[in-house]
Amino acid sequence: MISHKYGRSTGKRVADGILGVILNLIMLIFSLSCIFPLFWMGYSSLKIKREFNADIINLPTHPTLDNYRRILTNPDYHIGASILNSVRTTAISVFFIVLFGFVIGYFLARYKFKGHRALWIMLLMGMLIPVHSLLVPIYIVFKQTNLSNHWYTLIMPYVAFGLPIAVFLVQGFVKTVPTALEEAASIDGCSFTRSLFNVIMPICRPVMVTVAILQTFSCWNEFSFALVLIRDTALQTVPLAMTQFTGQFSSDYPKIMAAMLITMAPIVILYFIFSKQIIKGMVAGAVKG
Amino acid sequence: MLSRKPKAITFLVYLVIPILLYVFVVFFPLLTSLFYSLFEWKGGPNKTFIGSANYTQLIHDSVFWSAFRNNLYLVFLCLIGQVGIAFIFVMIINTRYIKLKGMHRTFGFFPSTIAAVSIGFIWTMIYDSRRGLLNWFLEKIGRADLQQVWLNNSKLVMTLVSIPLIWQYIGYYMIIMLSATAAIDTEILESADLDGANAFQTAVHVVLPMIKSTIMVCIVLCVSGNMKAFDNIYVMTKGGPGNASMVMAMYGYKISFEQQNMGYGSAISVGIFVLGIAVIGAMQLLQRAVSKEEVI
Repeated sequence: MISHKYGRSTGKRVADGILGVILNLIMLIFSLSCIFPLFWMGYSSLKIKREFNADIINLPTHPTLDNYRRILTNPDYHIGASILNSVRTTAISVFFIVLFGFVIGYFLARYKFKGHRALWIMLLMGMLIPVHSLLVPIYIVFKQTNLSNHWYTLIMPYVAFGLPIAVFLVQGFVKTVPTALEEAASIDGCSFTRSLFNVIMPICRPVMVTVAILQTFSCWNEFSFALVLIRDTALQTVPLAMTQFTGQFSSDYPKIMAAMLITMAPIVILYFIFSKQIIKGMVAGAVKG
Repeated sequence: MLSRKPKAITFLVYLVIPILLYVFVVFFPLLTSLFYSLFEWKGGPNKTFIGSANYTQLIHDSVFWSAFRNNLYLVFLCLIGQVGIAFIFVMIINTRYIKLKGMHRTFGFFPSTIAAVSIGFIWTMIYDSRRGLLNWFLEKIGRADLQQVWLNNSKLVMTLVSIPLIWQYIGYYMIIMLSATAAIDTEILESADLDGANAFQTAVHVVLPMIKSTIMVCIVLCVSGNMKAFDNIYVMTKGGPGNASMVMAMYGYKISFEQQNMGYGSAISVGIFVLGIAVIGAMQLLQRAVSKEEVI
């Protein structure tokens, strides 16, 4: 009886062990598949085209930075310019999304005013509208008002599209903050503007960071509106430039990989340094938005 | 609500710029597209009023409707792939066997931060017929007979362009659901274990009901996110071969910018608007129904 029970538990332990190995293996395969492309592109970009075509998976036998040198020194590819454009567009857009989102979110949370409901519904609709139904209309409007194809063009749609989620996040946050601070500030003779920026804003820092993280990624990665609103190659953002040079390099995969890694670098570095905060921010944005 | 209210002028000063911008970018274009959809207009200075002719054409346009079906097919695959697989992974990660949980979170989430354009390129290189990883792999396992020019297969192409999207977002939904399961009391899971529930039973009867509202959030996000699939399809196939991987946004883009048919393009935009709102609105109603049930 005892030996039987013992035997069963050993068997169970073995089955348990095998199960554990299988489950860990599944998760490992998934996790590694998520970053494998990065490694594959990383070492493949050090090969020359002939070596890559001969064997696509082997490590390079004669690693060379030639691809990078040729991309970065050739002004036709506009890689430096496109990174600069993306950084500028993203930085300015995120700044205004955070600022406007904070102001509107605060007003909606704290005051009843004429148009309060209308504003709320407008923003809600903005979140429901399928964004690609605006692709052609925005192109037409921007073209006719001569707003398309400038360095500041993309900032307008990016700010507008980012606004609803920013407002909802800030509004939800401000509702949890007691009004006592503002009441005290106003009794002390603090002006509205000072109370808004010196008293409330510092409290709202966490939610503003969340908004900034969310929007940095979506602005940096946005493609479709850049595609229709920007014609000039000198004004291209990173995703747009990428579709250009894959056409130019056609089958030179190592060169395409090198170019992609250069343009992905800022966001990859940012991610692996701040991954904890970024994941937290994105999840908060997704669940509360 | 605060007792002291600032003057009306203060509201105006603070709110006027962002609201004007918002209306100009979101609502004004919608109205103009309603207007232009009533014209025959090739983008030039001349346009002729043709009434509802564009809409009659749209209703009979088989490409547009197959694009809509492709949208729905893609959303369906992504629901199963993204939310479904993510849920299974969450259940696996929450077992006591799993090591390196932090790594799975960081690596798994990573693809969702990359531009869909880059993801599209990476997978184009994977599917490539001569230098692609997929054909390389088939050759290594001795199934070279299965090799093909993947993205030229019009039967498979919609599935093939969905796979990158699925792969990209599994980690994203996994993390969202993990944060929900983290809130579940471990005692509940332990008592389920003691009562002899197996892993599958625990997942379906204990965990699933407890994170129901989070799963609904994931489903709504997944549907609205994948209804706007465009970037990776633009990079991988441009809607081809033929119209096999055409989605609504891609079709609107092609008509408007490659054929310069702005009038009909506007009508398609209105079509995308209506169908998109219908699908996303239905999901929102479903979500509300589920979360209401939970409150009671």
